[in-house]
Amino acid sequence: MAASTGTTSAFPSPYAIETPPGCEGWEEMYPYHALFHEARRDVDENRFWFWNSMHFPLPMPAFDMACVDSPYQALGVWQNRVFAVPPAMGIDYRVVNGYVYITGNPVTDPDKIAERAGYFQQRAGYYYQHWDELYGKFKAKMQELIAEITDLHVPELPEYEADEVAFEDDRNTSFYEVLAAYDRTLRCLDLMWQHHFEFLLLGYGAYMTFSELCKSQLPDIPDQHIAQMIAGIDVLLFKPSAELRKLAKLAIDTGVDGAFTEARRPAEIDAELAGSEAGRAWLEALEGIKDPWFNMATGDGLYHFYRSWYDDPSIAYASVIGHVRALRDGEEVERPTEELARERDRLAEEYGALLDEDTRKAFQELLMLSRTVFPYVEEHKFFCDYWFLTRWWNKVREFGALLAKHGFLEDAEDVFQLGRHEVAQALDELVLTWATGGQALGPAHWPPIVARRKELLRRLGEWTPPPAIGATPEAITDPAVIMLWGVTTQRVQEWASAEEGGGRLTGAAASPGVVEGVARVVVDVEEIARVRDGDILVCPITSPAWAPIFSNVKAVVTDIGGVMSHAAIVCREYGLPAVVGTGRATSEIQTGQLIRVDGTSGVVTVLDA
Amino acid sequence: MPVGHISPLRQLRRSDAEAFGGKSANLGELLSAGIPVPPGFAVAASAFRDFIAETGLGGAIASAMARASSGTVEDGAAASKAIGEAMRFAPLPEGVRAGLESHYGDLAGDGDTEPAVAVRSSAIGEDGEDATFAGQQESFLWVRGFEHLCDAVRDCWASLYTPRAIGYRAARGAGGEDPAMGVTVQTMVDAEVSGVLFTCNPVSGDPSMVAIEASWGLGIAVVGGETTPDDFLVSKVTGEVVRRTVNEKEIEYVPDPAGRGTVRVAVPAERRGEPCLREEHLAALVDLARRVERHYGAHQDVEWALARGKSLPEALVVLQARPVTAVPERAPKLSGSALSLVLGTFGAPPAANEPD
Repeated sequence: MAASTGTTSAFPSPYAIETPPGCEGWEEMYPYHALFHEARRDVDENRFWFWNSMHFPLPMPAFDMACVDSPYQALGVWQNRVFAVPPAMGIDYRVVNGYVYITGNPVTDPDKIAERAGYFQQRAGYYYQHWDELYGKFKAKMQELIAEITDLHVPELPEYEADEVAFEDDRNTSFYEVLAAYDRTLRCLDLMWQHHFEFLLLGYGAYMTFSELCKSQLPDIPDQHIAQMIAGIDVLLFKPSAELRKLAKLAIDTGVDGAFTEARRPAEIDAELAGSEAGRAWLEALEGIKDPWFNMATGDGLYHFYRSWYDDPSIAYASVIGHVRALRDGEEVERPTEELARERDRLAEEYGALLDEDTRKAFQELLMLSRTVFPYVEEHKFFCDYWFLTRWWNKVREFGALLAKHGFLEDAEDVFQLGRHEVAQALDELVLTWATGGQALGPAHWPPIVARRKELLRRLGEWTPPPAIGATPEAITDPAVIMLWGVTTQRVQEWASAEEGGGRLTGAAASPGVVEGVARVVVDVEEIARVRDGDILVCPITSPAWAPIFSNVKAVVTDIGGVMSHAAIVCREYGLPAVVGTGRATSEIQTGQLIRVDGTSGVVTVLDA
Repeated sequence: MPVGHISPLRQLRRSDAEAFGGKSANLGELLSAGIPVPPGFAVAASAFRDFIAETGLGGAIASAMARASSGTVEDGAAASKAIGEAMRFAPLPEGVRAGLESHYGDLAGDGDTEPAVAVRSSAIGEDGEDATFAGQQESFLWVRGFEHLCDAVRDCWASLYTPRAIGYRAARGAGGEDPAMGVTVQTMVDAEVSGVLFTCNPVSGDPSMVAIEASWGLGIAVVGGETTPDDFLVSKVTGEVVRRTVNEKEIEYVPDPAGRGTVRVAVPAERRGEPCLREEHLAALVDLARRVERHYGAHQDVEWALARGKSLPEALVVLQARPVTAVPERAPKLSGSALSLVLGTFGAPPAANEPD
């Protein structure tokens, strides 16, 4: 990402961020390479980092860093080493007070960009042309991987090894099996992220290109309409809800809906249903939909505490309770798929008709491509983030249980307070002392660490991370950063101006363009004579009587008025940026101040406030 | 094809713009397309030319304009004053006067021999068609009585020489030909709500949107920027209101209770922050926008009003429609395959991104 190298960034330096009280030593929870270190200060301080609050809104438990390292490894390898996206390598991350900040690694050498474009064109082109076939393979690979992590056996450490170990020469001992199982658990995570990012960039890229086309030609089109034109009708993520709706209907039809009253816990409902034949039949029907739909997660994030519906069915039950009530009230809860399909085609037709012929052709082709990639974009979260990850975290819990059983942890859940390499260390010692019969240090070593980190996370959770740190970028050009996080140049500028505090006014964007200049506040028509060439006129209203002086001013800012007042029209006619209806420009701005008028976004900024 | 100095609006079409001015011709065109427009008649530019010729004002105008060519605000104002005064005291040609009287009489309804009319200038030539000649010509509202109508017609003509019209003409360098002007006379609409709509978003250029601004009372408050109107952006495709900003509308123009003209009054506190359009009004306006746009095959800027005491659809009338001239450049047209566009998203240089 291009960044200004000056020291006057709008954002705080990553090296100047204070540790919240009582959080000293937070760094111990994270890999050494995840920190802002003095050894790379010259570089890191001059890069633009933004808080990845989309994926990591909470301070990271030590073990959950596996879900930071692995995805950025996988994103990087596909983007940089496989597809060779021309201007962007991968994403670097750092942890500050427990929160994840990220930045892109740009490619700036034009020769290198051209070289990468050759690879990218061939490889990405191949994926788009064979999308359905390749995506079919993805689903098979993911299902295989999910089966593997589900079935992966975490051995007990027995008093004596089984007879097979003694009598069959191809059997390994438990120390090896524990270490191998843990290693395989970590590798399964890497495989999942590898599969995840195989398609992610290209899927979002097609979607975004279509979306950009729509927004460039139809600047006010609601995002919702773009999504509607692309969206599949038979969307996998709607299925769990559809199944639960059917179950709600079954409950009513078989007269067991009385069990589903507001605020009741799943266990209470189950207990009541188990008492009747119809209730037991309902529970059986529920069992029938659990695979795969109860692999939904209770939260949308990459943390160990987001469980599957199997582990915590409260969302599913609450949904049935809601459907039961809606059905009783006669509300239509069936998704009108035919109507949705008609509306989707109507939107595509009508928007297409507003475009000129060449653009319409590109619009239609991109729409088709977006619909092709859509199943991946929509479904990968179910396979990867929900189904796989909830099972994977549970597998890690099994190792936690093993460590807890041998006194290394007080509770299986405490395993998430250790980094994955620390867990490997603990397992190393566990199998060693199990094998040797020696005294383990782990039970004295790990519990105090766990206790301290729980307290650290609690306190770090009270800290508010700034949206961005480091240098203010001139422009955001990294396609992944724009596509996946929606961080654009404009967004960064909004953050930057919010950091600066006051001196910012918003109004209606009446005439596009951005200029800077000296403000001339005119509250009375008598003062118009004082307007000098190149001034920015700041006035209470956009009186058309002042039109003659518009050829002298650079921009117009008003307290009141709309984008269709005649003066606003005249501004557009003259090509003068205008922001109208700011409410308080004449009282906030003083003659002689340097101001910036952004008539495109409707923002006025006092530069020397 | 209308003949003479004066014609009912319904007989005019777009092609009559040169004779009757853009506004009158357009209103005739709208009527022919079935768009509701208040009834009225149009005075041709030939009436103005006869007026200048019969009164011999040409010389006085030319010498005043020569003084104004310096371009300073003071000289422009002095020229305007001189020309305006001379025009106001000159008699109308007899033919024009008789025509006005007869057509004004046609507008009279039961028991109202002096109907209230709106008298507006209808610019000829480039100023009218190609540029959005923002507010540089006059409107006289709630004019009652024949003599007052004659005065208002003369005042419209004089508005060719307001200081800002003189300044605008000087800035645009549109000198040369002598300016002329038509006049539009229409039955007055007692507007409860007025506003402007664009058949696209004039700021972003989005053709899928209808942009609507509306405020209480007569339209001059919105057009003149004297109030911050309610502001709506509505999707033509789905009818959804994409943006809705309800503002404090502090003033409105209403008919002067004395019977003639208008007065600017404070909006009562309880109505200021109240949205002045409801969903059904927005739907009717979007429908109107689509019809107007379809008829012209180009984006239009439409002034409209909702008549007091009437309900939809009768309440909604169009007072004016003009082509939108200052829409921002649309994004460049796109060509190339979908794939090359996607590769472009990833920063592949255009030359290299057309796959084999």
